This record gives sequence, C-alpha cells and structure tokens, in this order.
Amino acid sequence: MKKYSFFALWSVVLLSLLCVFSLSHAANTIKVGIVDTYTGPATTFTNDVLDGFKLAVEKINAKGGILGNKIEYTTRDEKFKPDIGLAMAKELVLKEKVNILMGTINSATTLAISDFVRKEKIPFFVTFAKSDKIVGEKGHRYIFNMNENTEMAGRATAIALAKKPYVKYWIAGDDYEYGHAIAEGVWNNLKKLKPSVQKVGETWWKVGEADFTPYITQILAAKPDFIIVATGGSGMVNFQKAAKATGLSQKIPFYQHTATELSVLAPQGKNAPEGVYGTANYFFYYPDTPENRAFVADFKKAYNRNPRIGALYGYMTAQFIAEGYKKAGKLDTEKLVTALEGMAIDSPVGKLEIRKCDHQLLLPMYFGVTKKDAKYDFLTAGNIETIQGKDYVPSCEEVLKLRKK
Amino acid sequence: MESIFSFVSPGIFSQILVGLSRTVILFIVSSGLSLILGVLRIPNVAHGSLYMIGAFMAYTVAHLFGGGNMGFWMALVLAPLGVAALSFVAERSLFQFLYEREHLMLLLLTFAMSLVFGDLVKLVWGAEYRSVPVPQVFQGYMNLFGGLPFPIYSFFLLVMGPIIAILLWLLTNKTKIGKISRAAAVDREMVGAVGINVSWVFAIVFVIGCLLAGLGGVLVAPTVSVTLGMDHTLIIEAFLIVIMGGLGNVWGALLGALIFGLTQSLGILVWPKFGIVFPYLAVVVVLIFRPTGLLKSTW
Repeated sequence: MKKYSFFALWSVVLLSLLCVFSLSHAANTIKVGIVDTYTGPATTFTNDVLDGFKLAVEKINAKGGILGNKIEYTTRDEKFKPDIGLAMAKELVLKEKVNILMGTINSATTLAISDFVRKEKIPFFVTFAKSDKIVGEKGHRYIFNMNENTEMAGRATAIALAKKPYVKYWIAGDDYEYGHAIAEGVWNNLKKLKPSVQKVGETWWKVGEADFTPYITQILAAKPDFIIVATGGSGMVNFQKAAKATGLSQKIPFYQHTATELSVLAPQGKNAPEGVYGTANYFFYYPDTPENRAFVADFKKAYNRNPRIGALYGYMTAQFIAEGYKKAGKLDTEKLVTALEGMAIDSPVGKLEIRKCDHQLLLPMYFGVTKKDAKYDFLTAGNIETIQGKDYVPSCEEVLKLRKK
Repeated sequence: MESIFSFVSPGIFSQILVGLSRTVILFIVSSGLSLILGVLRIPNVAHGSLYMIGAFMAYTVAHLFGGGNMGFWMALVLAPLGVAALSFVAERSLFQFLYEREHLMLLLLTFAMSLVFGDLVKLVWGAEYRSVPVPQVFQGYMNLFGGLPFPIYSFFLLVMGPIIAILLWLLTNKTKIGKISRAAAVDREMVGAVGINVSWVFAIVFVIGCLLAGLGGVLVAPTVSVTLGMDHTLIIEAFLIVIMGGLGNVWGALLGALIFGLTQSLGILVWPKFGIVFPYLAVVVVLIFRPTGLLKSTW
C-alpha cells in the first residue's frame, strides 16, 4: 500500500511540474506542428524534411528568434493514414495551440488537413505531398505548397522531352494515384507541345511490385522509342535495378520523375543504370554555388549526410515562416499569410518566390540523365537542363479556374 | 516442330521463364509459411517481416564482405541463419506458450510481432533504401527467344528453386524430425504420448520455416531495393499462395507459387494494362472450385 501511495504522490508532483513547464513555455514562442509519416518506407523522405527544418530553426533561434520569439516545433506520426493524420492535426491545433502546421508526404492526409485548416484559419505548409489538387481545385488562402506536384513535374518533363527526337512512347507505372497522375501529367503536356508523339502501349503494376522483369520483356517486345516510367517510393530503385539486369537501360531510354535524386541513386552505388532521364528539384552538388555549398556543409555538419530534396523543402519552410513574420511585423496569422504572398527569399538554389495567386513555391526543376561520376561512389545527374519555376508551373488563371469549379 | 512454334510468339517462352524465376522466391517464402501453418497451426503474419529482415541482413553481410561475390555467398549463408536465430528466440520466449490458444489470438500476436519487427528494422537499419548488388558472376543478361533479355541472376534463381524443393522433400520425408513433425501435425497429443518432446519438434520446425523466409529475403535482395514495407506485399501474396495450395501443405505452396508466378507473367503478355489482376483472378477461380485449396490441407 505504501508503495502505491508513494507512486501516486510522485505522479502528481511530476504532472504538476509538467504543467508549470508547459505554461511557462507558452509565451514567447511560435509553435509549429509537424504531421508527417515517420513509420514505413516514406520515412526516408520525411526525415530529410524534418532535419532541414530543424537546421533552419536552430539557426533562427540562435539569432534571437523572430521578433524576439523562439520557434518551437512538435512532431506527430500519421503512419501514412489520413484519418490519423487529421486527428493529429486537430489535436495540434486545438490542444497544443500551434500557430502553424506543416507536413505531410501523404496526399490524402494533406487534403484532409487542408480542409480543416481552412476552417480554423491556420497556415499549412505542404512539404512533400504531390497531388495537384492541393493548390489546384482544393486550394485556399491558408495552404502553401513548398514542393512541386505531379502536374508541374509533368509539364517540366514535357518541356524537356518535346525537344528530343522520340515519337513512339510506352507508359508504365505503379498502379496508384501518384503513378497515374505523373504519367498523365507528362503525357498530356507532351502531346500538347509535340502533337506527333504516339502512345504504343501501357503497363501498370501493383505498388510494391518486386519483379519488373516480366513487364520489361513485354515492353521491349513492343520496341517503343522511349518509356515514361511512373514509379514512386521503392519502385524507383526496383525498376532501375530491373532495367540494369535486363539491359533495358542500354536499349530503350526511359524517364522517371526523381530518377536522378540522391535517395534513388545513392543506395545502388556504382551499379545504378546509366542514361536514365529524371527530374528533381534539388541536388547537393548542383547548382554549384556558394549558397548551396554552404547549405550542404551546414547540413553535413549537423547530420553527417548529404541533404536531399526534402531537406530543402523543410529548410525553406522555416525560412519563409521567419521572414513572413518579420515582414508582418507581429505574430498575427492573417498578416503572416498576406506577407508571404509574393514573398521571395534567398535559398540554396537561388531566389525562390511564393506565388501570390495560389501560394505555390516556384522551384527550379532540373532535368538530367544518370551518369558515373569519379568524385562520388554513386551515380549523379549529368547534362542538367534547368527549367525555371515560372515556366512549368500552371498559370494563375489555370489554377484559379480549377478552384472555382 | 518449327511449325508448332511459329504459332507461339517467342514472348511466351520468355515470360514463362521470367514467371518461373519469380515463382522460386514465392515458393521459398510461402513453403516456410505453409510448414509453420501445417505443423504448428500458427498463421504467422510476421513471416513477411522475417523475409524483410533476411534482406536487410543480406545487405549488412554483403557490405561487411565488400559487396562482391564473396559478400553475396556469405549473405546467402549467414543472413538466413541470423533470421533463424531471431525466430528461435521468438519461439522459445513467446510462441511456445501459445500453441494451445485459438487462432485469432495467434493472428493478433503475430500481427503485433510484424509491427514490432518493422520498427526494429527501422531502428537498426534506418529508413533509407538499401541495395544489395547482384554478384559479379550473375551480372548482366542473356538474349533468348527472339532477342528478349533474361537476367543471369534469374537463371541462378531457377537453379535454387528445385534445390530448395528437393531439400524440403528430403527433410519432410527422409529425416526423423520431418516424420515426427508430420505426425505432430495430424495428432499432437499422440506424438507427445509416445514420449517425444513435441515442444522442441515445434521449435525446430518453426525455425526451419523462418529460415526459408530469410532465405527468400536474401535471394530477392539483389533484384529489388531493400526497404521498410517490403514485407507487406509479400505476406499477402504468400498467404494467397498457401490458401490456394491447401493450408499447411508444402507442395500446395509450390503449386500455388507456380500458378501465381505464371499467371502474372503470362497475364502481362495478354493484357499489360491489367496484368496485375490475373494472379488474383486465379486465386478466385481456384477457391470457387476447390474451397479448401488444390492439395490436401492438413487443417
């Protein structure tokens, strides 16, 4: 009996201490709630977002914070489930009283949270979800898109592919929304830019398909000029390995969105296939500017690895929050949203602007091809063609027309 | 002869071979699942996690030995043993106390274990994609039938499949432990009554089943990216195969894997856009006509 009452007493003391602690912390902080997937395969991307964000926050806080206020953040794991994600966003806003939300890699979660923040008037920075509905038909005043979406990736790729001589295309991909959206994005835009292209066939496999060889032999038999491969997640690496094993990469050129990204190429080391076309928003080795080199050095010092695309998204989100509040002049959500509209700040890849009309961050897109590089023990992107944000993002009229529907 | 083959496109032969190499992985993993189902009556949902752990261990071992041929052969031996050791610990510390429980309990426990294993993998290996290189001897491809490429590594898989099948046959039919385990599957109490330590027989069978999952993971590792979540797709396929073949029947697993692998690769040939539905269609057809599976179930 004595043991239990002792335990109960301690719990009370501990709990009250916690209360005092959190109360004393409530003042003078800007609270950012991060809802993202930290379980399962998507973690490889979301960890980068979080680390990039942390890096920027530590810098901002070390300089005295924003208008004298420190940034504080708390994370929630939505386990790649929209219902959990939404519940956590609600908890963060209603209980934790966060000023700002950010995340997620799951488009369905993002759209659910987007609906919620619209009513609660909480700014929400989207840091990986690729659905074009987020800024498109479901867009609103409180949503900010810090990454490209499937429609943008499609347009950027179409711009680059239209210049190539290929005519007969085969489309293949993971049979889920992202796969179909990427494939349609590329194909519809390519047809507009170059009406002579023709589709000779399509193949769709299930998400997580382990063996692509039967699909590849089938595609080879049809002899297309070029293959648009709409894979995501681990399918990226799986397809490249199969393309190497079957010699596909030497026979028919193919494209994958993010094929040239470090997360896809680094694990394969020197064994990755050469000559694969890909698009990505960021490389730690390109553009080779002092700003990017400084960012890479900082990131490496903090986490002992090279930053990948997510790191840039997270890093820029923190920067925009800080600069937005500074421009607004006080901690006011409405003023922050207005301040962010049309704001441009320096980033590791040059000046980046949040477009006023739809709150889309205008990032450059790098179209390149995988090649061996003596400097690294993995393949990198070569022959990089930079497509500027304003050139591949749908126009304001197009986006606003979607929103009216 | 030529006239017969001219009707058939060279693509079919190529797809059959490709389908067979996929069958090998499916067979190895699902035979382990079936073995455990048959003898221990555990619907082991964590079987897929052991396959994933096998692949991750293969990554670690292959890189410890420099990633070349040596690394691969060492991984082929050490990683399944590592998985076996892990499953041995799990069996002695958890499963052995639960054999008498109902299946729902076991299902819940193994499902919980699959979550625990998933997080364990994230803790040990992190969330990055990992890749085991194809050993140099098996790199590249050969052109067969009308110039369609076939990876040399897949040939290796085609050789491994029958070897594993024969070893399994020898184990279940020619060894004492195999005979006891088959007897225990039919009547556990009777085997105990004649003075055999059933608990240890079960432990050994469980470990062998899990070793097969680990072996499947090692064999698949050079063809895919080793990543969290690779267990999910496989465990569903493995259960479908086992159900199709007859619960607990190892040869049913072989038959099921053959049907699964071949309908998939040939389905792609017939209708590439909807190639994924064919294996599942096959499962439906089999279960309509043989609700208990193709071969005799031990349940």
